[in-house]
Amino acid sequence: MGRLIEEIYVWRLPVRLYHWINAICTVLLLLTGVYIAAPFLNPPVGEAVWYKQMSWWRYVHFAVAFIFIANFLFRMYWALFGNDKYGRFGGFRPWSPAWWGQPFREQVESYLFLRSDEPNYVGHNPVAALAHFVFIFCGSSFMILSGLAMYGENNPGGFSSVLTGWMVPLFGGSYTLHFAHHLMAWIFPLYLVVHLYAVFRHDIVDRTSVTSSIVTGYKHKVEEEPV
Amino acid sequence: MQSNQTFADLFRARGVSRRDFLKFCSLTSVYLGLSPSMVPSIVHAMENKTRTPVLWLHGQECTCCSESFIRSSHPRIEDLLFNMISLDYDDVLSAAAGHQLEAVRRKIMKEYKGKYILAVEGNVSTKDDGVYCMVGGDSFLNIIKETAADCAAIIAWGACASFGCVQNAEPNPSGAKPIDEVIKDKPIVKVPGCPPISEVMTGVITHFHTFGTLPDLDRFGRPKAFYNTRIHDKCYRRAFFDAGMFVRSFDDEATRKGWCLYKMGCKGPTTYNSCSKIQWNEGTSFPIGSGHPCIGCSEPNFWDRGPFYKRLAEVPFLGSDSNADRIGMIALGAAAAGAAAHAAVTAVKKTQEDKHEKDKA
Repeated sequence: MGRLIEEIYVWRLPVRLYHWINAICTVLLLLTGVYIAAPFLNPPVGEAVWYKQMSWWRYVHFAVAFIFIANFLFRMYWALFGNDKYGRFGGFRPWSPAWWGQPFREQVESYLFLRSDEPNYVGHNPVAALAHFVFIFCGSSFMILSGLAMYGENNPGGFSSVLTGWMVPLFGGSYTLHFAHHLMAWIFPLYLVVHLYAVFRHDIVDRTSVTSSIVTGYKHKVEEEPV
Repeated sequence: MQSNQTFADLFRARGVSRRDFLKFCSLTSVYLGLSPSMVPSIVHAMENKTRTPVLWLHGQECTCCSESFIRSSHPRIEDLLFNMISLDYDDVLSAAAGHQLEAVRRKIMKEYKGKYILAVEGNVSTKDDGVYCMVGGDSFLNIIKETAADCAAIIAWGACASFGCVQNAEPNPSGAKPIDEVIKDKPIVKVPGCPPISEVMTGVITHFHTFGTLPDLDRFGRPKAFYNTRIHDKCYRRAFFDAGMFVRSFDDEATRKGWCLYKMGCKGPTTYNSCSKIQWNEGTSFPIGSGHPCIGCSEPNFWDRGPFYKRLAEVPFLGSDSNADRIGMIALGAAAAGAAAHAAVTAVKKTQEDKHEKDKA
């Protein structure tokens, strides 16, 4: 393994802020969502108006969801218009066969222990970029659209009902949409496990201080990037 | 029955006073969700328009829609309403039978070409040329195509005609299809429910008769006036839902206290209907009011949407006992195990490489 060549400022503040707001929101949304689907707490005996248990969980879920959506839109804005080399998904071209070629294959082979050397990237490697696209971009988009469609159900003809209500017939009804929303929520903890493992592993194997980079913004380059 | 008779003529002939007639018009406008300023146009229509001929066909169904329809109690003059729409053909309710009845159907189709309403109760068997549903010696598939050809609009009564109901639930042995999958070139109003609420049924017909147009429809083709809001959002037990006070089994204290049936599998939160507003049988009650969770009968394919008494989170999935959460946990466990295995291989390889380099040095 190489020696420290240079310090690179990879994750600018908007990207780091997005990451942590997104992480906190996802955890809160998952916890409140699972509770809403299967509430287990029992309020003490009394009048219904004294307690706001279910509505409290739902309120937190919706409030956090709107922060999550704003944060997601902000990240999309930053990717399109931000002056940020590593934050703009520049190298991600899944529509081009070239993207699936050499670098992608090398990275997959490395993960499958078919190569002894580890390709090293300053930003995301191609496999990580694909994972982020599928889990975070597609996953979040689906959760946002289906979530807004269900949120709009209590106010037919309202803003989110008009904007996203087409999701309901698309999924064959409100019930199946609820089910799809619930099932898809599980991709986030699934992603979390893989994400954390990949980060720690890369940090240990490549020694690029990728773990702390999402706090400080700096990665450390220990050897030359593969061409 | 004479044709060209207006509603008002009919009311008068039946000895209904002007006062009662106006009361009926006001009530109807309330049911249609119209503003009081619309009452005069209803009165005008009732006094000037002739009765709309309705042909009411029965396919694969249980007649619960008819049973509901004949119990329409607001308007209380239900028998008059029944006569008003000039129900010229209905195999269940007509006095005539056999060839006589079929002759009436053909006569109306010819005389009121493009003007009559086709009301369909039940759905259409399409497998093996529709041989599994025969009416009057012909397949219902042929009959509905023939009758729909010259109609002004179609009203699909109930879950069967609207979405298919139990007949087209898995595995759908007769190839049952809802009306909109068989007739594609006519405007269709879906009035789902198993059965639909009687006042909703009469309300839809009155709307067509009064305005000559179909009511505003939602994304599933249901009249917005009656299917725009969820049962959950107008439920009188909603306060218990918000408070988190739930029935947990059908014999617990919460059941006796009438708490929320969410955990008992109530489909109110995903079902669009007027049950919690208009209620049933002269506003006597509705399923939730009687302590039973909603089964979501006005939603598409409700028979195939999991068990009636289980909350979504506990619904079996992929033909197994597992639900979404359990499958999520299994996937999570698999991912964690995979990561651990990958880590182990990484560690072993790294140790080997380090040893190799040391040997070299």
